Amino acid sequence: MASLEVKDLSHSYIRGKSVLKEINFSLEAGEILSILGPSGCGKTTLLRIIAGLEKETSGSVNIDDHIISDHLHTVLTENRNIGLVVQERALFPHLTIINNVMFGIKETKSKKYEIAMRLLKLFKVDKYAYNFPNEISSGEQQRVAIARAMAPNPGILLMDEPFGTLDQSLTHQLRTETRKILKDNNTTAIIVSHDFDDAISMSDKVIVIDDGQIVQSGSAKDITHISPEKSLKLGSIISNS
Amino acid sequence: MNFSLWQISPVILFMIFIAPVTIVLFSLTGDYSENWLHLYNYVLMGYIKNSIYLVLGVSFTVCIVGVGTAWIITNYDFSFKNFFEWALILPLAVPPYILAYTFTGLFDTFGTANNLIREIFDLSRDFTFFPKVRNVPGAIIVFSFTLYPYVYLVSRMAFINQSRSIIEAGRTLGLNKFEVFYKLAVPMIRPAIIGGLMLVVMETISDFGAVDHFAISTFTTGIFRTWYGMYDIETAMQLASLLLLFAITLIIIERYSRRNASYSNAMSLYKPLSHEKLRGFKNFLAFLACFIPIFIGFILPVVELTYWALNYKLDFFNEKFISTAWNTFYLAIIAAFFCSVLAVLINFSIRYKSNNYLKFMSSFLTVGYAVPGLILAIGVMQMLTFIDKSFVSNIPNIVFTGSIFGLVLAYIIKSYALSNSTIDAGYQRINERIDDVARTLKTSGWSLLSQVHLPLLKTSFLTSMLLVVSEVIKELPATLILRPFNFDTLAVYTYIYAAEERMYDAAAPSIAIVMVGLIPIIILTRMIRRSRPASRY
Repeated sequence: MASLEVKDLSHSYIRGKSVLKEINFSLEAGEILSILGPSGCGKTTLLRIIAGLEKETSGSVNIDDHIISDHLHTVLTENRNIGLVVQERALFPHLTIINNVMFGIKETKSKKYEIAMRLLKLFKVDKYAYNFPNEISSGEQQRVAIARAMAPNPGILLMDEPFGTLDQSLTHQLRTETRKILKDNNTTAIIVSHDFDDAISMSDKVIVIDDGQIVQSGSAKDITHISPEKSLKLGSIISNS
Repeated sequence: MNFSLWQISPVILFMIFIAPVTIVLFSLTGDYSENWLHLYNYVLMGYIKNSIYLVLGVSFTVCIVGVGTAWIITNYDFSFKNFFEWALILPLAVPPYILAYTFTGLFDTFGTANNLIREIFDLSRDFTFFPKVRNVPGAIIVFSFTLYPYVYLVSRMAFINQSRSIIEAGRTLGLNKFEVFYKLAVPMIRPAIIGGLMLVVMETISDFGAVDHFAISTFTTGIFRTWYGMYDIETAMQLASLLLLFAITLIIIERYSRRNASYSNAMSLYKPLSHEKLRGFKNFLAFLACFIPIFIGFILPVVELTYWALNYKLDFFNEKFISTAWNTFYLAIIAAFFCSVLAVLINFSIRYKSNNYLKFMSSFLTVGYAVPGLILAIGVMQMLTFIDKSFVSNIPNIVFTGSIFGLVLAYIIKSYALSNSTIDAGYQRINERIDDVARTLKTSGWSLLSQVHLPLLKTSFLTSMLLVVSEVIKELPATLILRPFNFDTLAVYTYIYAAEERMYDAAAPSIAIVMVGLIPIIILTRMIRRSRPASRY
């Protein structure tokens, strides 16, 4: 598993209008970080920059002390060893569940199958291995999406609003299971969410972004025990989401 | 995948696509021969006058028929409405030149219709009941009833998107039903109508088969005569340039009107239009208004052609027919395959590189659709002659001029727009997040295209192939000019027989062309049904 460091990272789509301003944080191998903030605050952009799907305007991203993106270097997305789970799940509709999970694994066919089946069992969707994505529920699709992202054994797993479209009871169950699996596999993960409960219950660290800046950061425990005025500020940010 | 390949290939394609048209336009800067002076002094005004009459007459008729039927279908419930809704597109399967052949076969002095009238009423052989059709009004009818579906389609789509609230607002402001139609509903969809109308005008001015059969002098027949009669390619190109300039003006108007077409549905709350049930005489009138265009544009030619093929020439399914059909089929498949592959590669480049410059270039690649086949053929022929003389003259057994290569190239340039719009629509349906996830799973470039996009674009690819096949099979002037020696397609086969007034021999290939032309109609109908903003109503 990999460590991550984001240094002085800024980004703007239009000159002079920053979406992210001087973002700094680091993550140890095996840690889970939640990025909290209202819609449009820049948290998804931050995730896309770490994944290499967008290029930062300034600053750098380091994985395991190697620069993967700064003003001189850019390692392509496909070479960053990063897994990505998106809210829309984006399962390949023409492939069966097992083939979706096997898609990114670079091993022999039997090994691929073995890894994929192990993950499907872990996420309790192995009975749908030969179904197509449109034949299973949205909760099951989300499990498959996470399993697929974990299958190539990525250094860092990025999850963008992974439970955003699911109902409350399913969300609760899935985040407990996902945290357990991530921890058991010692997976470094970043979860972007606008849900305070997602962030607190799943992660070791939390950063809160508002208007492109980090306004709060600390351990999940710290965030739940903050001063009244900070609590008020955080509450207003979260309630805006 | 090499980064630059995705960017360089559209530029090369752009140059190949644009070269024939540029060559034709460039002829305007060359010397003008005596033939040009002759044309200018004696026949050019005739070409212009006939073309203008045709354009005005066809525009007026297609607007009445296309917009009128679209309004009736969208707003009223009457007998066989569900049938008419899709059947009104059927005349698109009949190229104007085939309707022209059947018209002369039906309405000439000794045509089927006049013979029938004489037989029924026991009249003398010199009596003709139906007026002559080999004239400008006859051509106007032929073009109008084969091309009105362009206007019908765009008007129908635009009327579907109109909200009931606007129509109801008009009624409460004192407009009667007819006033609502022409003061409110039609002006609101005017850009859409103009867009459809421009396509009709382009098809009219670029037609060769129908006007040639009716012996009407227009630009296209003039270009042909100058080339094949006077053997003066330079003057033919100069004549073609004038027609091309007119076509470019139409393209600009069509693009501009398409950009403005959105104001027809610029309402925030959409309520589908309600249908008024028609009864009695009104029901009959609505039925008749929709039946007549289908009867003239589809039923009449198909029945006549079938009658000719079955009752007169039973041995039409001979060796010649089979070899011609095979030529047509494999040419169409080759062109369709390359067109669709190019469309996939270009659209993938645009998506993969998120490049606006590529998008801009791509929009130019679709212009070939509006360039008359005759002009395109002249341009391709000149381009290949230049390549043969300059680059391959020393290589034995390689000559591009007069080869299948030129024909396929012209078909690809002409039909690329069809493939592009189909593949583009297919790509719109693939969530871009799928690409993001695939890239994190170490799949990019060719792998992304072959493992993810292509399987998802399978239906769009096949649709694109079918659309191009049906377009290529109908194409006449480009095939006439560019076909290799002694190489016939169904369209050429039909043209040659019709030119010799052997209408019965022309029947079987004509039916084959119409049948293949039905394929895009079926696809179009399915697309329209899927695209409705509200459920089926």
